Amino acid sequence: MKPCANCGVEVEENANFCPLCGEPVVDKHTGNIDYITIRKRKKEEKALTDYQKLSSLQKRKLFWEISGIVLITGILVTLLIDLFASSRITWSRYSVTVCAVLFLNTTLIRFWPKNLMVLMLGSMTSTSALLILLDVFTGNMDWGVNLGVPLLVVAHILTLALTKIIKRAREKGLNIIAYSFIALGIFSLGIEGVVSLYVKNAINLHWSLVVIASVLPGAAILFFIHYRLKRGTDLRRFFHI
Amino acid sequence: MEENKKNGDKSSDFWFTLDNAAKIFPAVLSKEHTAVFRLTAVLKEPVKITAFLKALSHTEKRFPYFKVQLKEGFFWYYLEHVPQRFPVEVDDKKPCRAFDSNDMLIRIKIVHNRISVEFSHILTDGTGAYEFMKSLLILYSKELGVDIPEEFAYLQPGESIPEEEYEDSYKRYFKGEIPPMVSKSKAFHLPYSLQSKPRFIRKIMIISMPDIKNAAYQKGISINDFLVAVYLFVLQDIYEENYPSRRYRKFRKIRVQVPVNLRKMFPSRSMRNFSLFVMPEIDLRLGHYSFDEILKSVYHQIRLETDKKLINKNISRNVGSEKKIYVKSIPLFLKSLILRVNYYTKGTNQYSGVLTNLGKAKLPNETGRLIDYFIFSPPPPNRIVKENCGIIGFDDKLVVSFGNITKATALEEKFMRFLKNQGIDVKYESEKREEL
Repeated sequence: MKPCANCGVEVEENANFCPLCGEPVVDKHTGNIDYITIRKRKKEEKALTDYQKLSSLQKRKLFWEISGIVLITGILVTLLIDLFASSRITWSRYSVTVCAVLFLNTTLIRFWPKNLMVLMLGSMTSTSALLILLDVFTGNMDWGVNLGVPLLVVAHILTLALTKIIKRAREKGLNIIAYSFIALGIFSLGIEGVVSLYVKNAINLHWSLVVIASVLPGAAILFFIHYRLKRGTDLRRFFHI
Repeated sequence: MEENKKNGDKSSDFWFTLDNAAKIFPAVLSKEHTAVFRLTAVLKEPVKITAFLKALSHTEKRFPYFKVQLKEGFFWYYLEHVPQRFPVEVDDKKPCRAFDSNDMLIRIKIVHNRISVEFSHILTDGTGAYEFMKSLLILYSKELGVDIPEEFAYLQPGESIPEEEYEDSYKRYFKGEIPPMVSKSKAFHLPYSLQSKPRFIRKIMIISMPDIKNAAYQKGISINDFLVAVYLFVLQDIYEENYPSRRYRKFRKIRVQVPVNLRKMFPSRSMRNFSLFVMPEIDLRLGHYSFDEILKSVYHQIRLETDKKLINKNISRNVGSEKKIYVKSIPLFLKSLILRVNYYTKGTNQYSGVLTNLGKAKLPNETGRLIDYFIFSPPPPNRIVKENCGIIGFDDKLVVSFGNITKATALEEKFMRFLKNQGIDVKYESEKREEL
């Protein structure tokens, strides 16, 4: 038997590596112990990339800084090219507005990453403002306010509700797909409602009813598979029956 | 085991509900408050790793009910079998650290001449852990070539595993028709500020067994009662130091929670939790207690509180509350919230410290010759109680392990000083391991 210089247990005479710690079995003197220490540290460091070593706050900060540099540079460059080329702001207002909205949204993620309400409200308001501005730029104050913003509101409300439901679900699996199906059905209703209001000035639902009629049974089947069939006999342990 | 029988073949796939004592833990777990305790055997020689790993592979076959993971149900948590080997690792990280959600609730840690097993309290209690350690050490010594006398009883591989070992014995001894629970008043707690995270620090004291035996027998009491009395006396000392004027004393009682192994009172072979606790106390409104007065009071209180009928009442109360239909029907996330609030506002407020004594370890001489001493470290204390201690004896050494999350070490220092003043040989275990 001989000792492992790293963890101190005794290993077989012919062992090259310790079965417990996985380190090479070497004689116990300062040089070897240093070698093992460095080897262990390298192993631990190797397991992590520089990016992995960052905390989630640092990662968000990095993402925000990089996207900030890219977007602000984009704003400045397009603005300057436009100014030099046509001596006034023309096409660059589109890119400037889009970049500004994107930067606003990355800022929201940087400072309120866990506040879903702030994120959704901020994203909805900024994107709505973008649509209205695009409308203004094209000189047509029609589709942005009457079509774009209502659809955006429906999409955001549904996304918020779906995210909350998914977060609260104790068991995640097919039930998540079922919830998403239902949300998709409701979104279809919303799209058709808003579009028909815009086009015909009245709510006339047709195709979206077919969509919801199709997704609801699908969702029901998925719920059934998730809570009943997938766990099978495990349902007893799930409900402690 | 009811759930198991329902479920058919237990060797491949079984599950069981959490026992009554375990139910609270998933609700209050955190990175600091891990509910993980540790039993260490310090050997006289370095661990021979090949023999040890062979012994472990035999041992784990005898304890299938420890190969489980914690899962969330709709109303309660449950334990589900996982067909994996027990994890073995080098003991170079913090003791009693939390298990991840995909971990088994047991880990084996080795370094130099130390074999440690860490268990989540969700899985078993100190007795369950000790039985596992006993089998592991005996099989390890057998791998090293010693013969174990046949008459020595231990859980050995190859024998059939009784259903009783899977059992939640609280349920077996539950009786209906019980008087309602009377909650106790708030007790004194150590006034020290908490250590920065990670907080848990252990201080291990090695006491001469003949000395302490002699001191306890001179007073006509057991070692356990003697140590409980020392704990209460030291807490009283800390209390009087921090609240010198009686006018400003706001807490009226000092209580120490002392877990009791129920297997000694109610026949059971369960390897899961089956313990309750008694809480001897001193009432500070009645003035200063001398050590002898505390001894006398502790002796009688422990005997009164371990009355079989009284214990049975407590089992029935605890199990009764989980059987109530309105408790059963609350979804898990709400139940966890309620349990957590109750744990911190009612449960832990009632006692000032915890003293867990596993008693004297008994091993066949052939195995015992390999062992120097044992250490039993209870789970890291919560932020209200702040400090606890675990005790285990072997041969001529009694080892007290203090678990502390505060910046102060007054409790253990006063404890040591008191024992020394009683003429008992006591020293701290050196944490340095020169051999490595």
